[in-house]
Amino acid sequence: MSRQAERNVRKPTPAPASAKSARPRRPRVPWRLRIAAWRDQHFHGLFSSLGRLAARPWATALTVLVLGFALALPLLFFLVYDNARELSGGLREAREVTVFLKPALDANSADALAGELRQRADVAAVLVRTPEQGLAEFRQLSGFAEALDALQGNPLPSVLVVTPRAVADMDNPALIGELKADARVDLVQYDAAWRRRLSDILHFGERVVAVIAALLALATLLVIGNTVRMDVQARSEEISVMQLIGASDGFVRRPFLYSGLWYGLLGSVLALAIVAAVEIALAEPVGRLLDSYAHRFSLHGIGVFAASSVVAFSALLGWLGAFFATARHLAAGQPQ
Amino acid sequence: MIRFDNVSKRYLTGLDALAEVSFEIEAGEMVFVTGHSGAGKSTLLKLISLVERPTRGQIVVNHAELGRVRRRGIAHLRRGIGMVFQDHRLLMDRSVFDNVALPLLIAGAARDEIGKRVRAALDKVGLLAREKAHPLTLSTGEQQRVGIARAIVAKPPMIIADEPTGNLDPQLSLEIMGLFAEFGAVGTTVLVASHDLLLIKRLGKRALVLDHGRLVDDFRPQGKAP
Repeated sequence: MSRQAERNVRKPTPAPASAKSARPRRPRVPWRLRIAAWRDQHFHGLFSSLGRLAARPWATALTVLVLGFALALPLLFFLVYDNARELSGGLREAREVTVFLKPALDANSADALAGELRQRADVAAVLVRTPEQGLAEFRQLSGFAEALDALQGNPLPSVLVVTPRAVADMDNPALIGELKADARVDLVQYDAAWRRRLSDILHFGERVVAVIAALLALATLLVIGNTVRMDVQARSEEISVMQLIGASDGFVRRPFLYSGLWYGLLGSVLALAIVAAVEIALAEPVGRLLDSYAHRFSLHGIGVFAASSVVAFSALLGWLGAFFATARHLAAGQPQ
Repeated sequence: MIRFDNVSKRYLTGLDALAEVSFEIEAGEMVFVTGHSGAGKSTLLKLISLVERPTRGQIVVNHAELGRVRRRGIAHLRRGIGMVFQDHRLLMDRSVFDNVALPLLIAGAARDEIGKRVRAALDKVGLLAREKAHPLTLSTGEQQRVGIARAIVAKPPMIIADEPTGNLDPQLSLEIMGLFAEFGAVGTTVLVASHDLLLIKRLGKRALVLDHGRLVDDFRPQGKAP
């Protein structure tokens, strides 16, 4: 045997001097080298798993497509919800009470009622809109000027726009009840009821988005978990050999975890692309619709922060899915 | 290096694979385990590498009492044992080099270190020229030698081999056993399970003889150092 060969075989370990040394000792490796080796292992895992995905382009593409659509769905719902909330922002702040007076009431009586209301402590301001003002406004807004000209008289009643002072129960202030009870009042329209309804709808929408997102996140976890599980089964011989020659669970698991990570990353990037495509497809009609709202509002996209959170979250989901998928197989390879 | 104290192993099927087996193997010894098929040779090796746990008795391997090695410790224990299998169990989708490098990757060796040691191990089994080859393109004997290179590359203090020559003709078997004997000569503990009594006799090494799970003979050749 050559000298080289002799050096390559470890000398017999001396018998343990004490109970303390009764374990096989780890060779002393400097920290710098250990960290380098650790980094090498992770880079190796990261890129070898990517290589393995690339080796089966169709299977990988299918998985990524499924993930992309599964993740795009809640994102689209979220966008709709987010824009609806924005759109409703202006409405939610409206506090005015619109009081339609009986058509028979003349202008003096309307002024008198307005005066009474101004005396109240819970009223901040009262604006009187005479039927003439109402008609002028209507003519301007609706474009029915000619049709209105054909009318004999003015069918519009006097309207009081009452701004209440803030009270504890803004949903149903006492003022509303008293106005409704007043004989001179035909109809009280208070936006709070609408506001609350809108809030409820938005709340509902928020919950729907959350539930769908949770379900589809679970689906993502399962899709990735199942894909990785099949991969694990296909490579069970390799795994058992690795375990036999001393690979830790972490070492065996690492390439699979990275596969899961890649699935999650690629799926989320595809999902964002789908969302972007939908935005582009809808931009023109939505823009037109919004123009009719006199530019008070503009459609906004998903944002850099939200997009990167989606990518990070789905990568995490992929990692977790792979973790669960490998856990059972790893345990099966060990005694007891 | 390896000590068995009254070790018994009964499988869940009720089969008594080993019964009250006791022996001790010193560091640097080369020992054969022999016996008819089903005598318990494989079980004995599986207990050492913690593929199975004994039903009764105590086993000490490389100063570690196996009863105390928990799941996380198993991988670490196995890194101290170079394992050679009858069917070599190479990874067929990787080159010879990558197969041999695996234990070093597992141990977290540095990259340039891996290249050096893999080539040294391949050199020792006479396959340095084939490092880029695919295991499937090698002969059975060469595949087994790659398996041996993988077992020794991390310089474990101990090598165990389960019927390493089971699939080889007598000439190749002798060559492979010669390799094991070389490792034994430089201080590595070598334990080889084999039913090839002729071959064992030719090598003139200590042999543990199993019969129906019992250790019936601990044969030491006269006039030869263990």
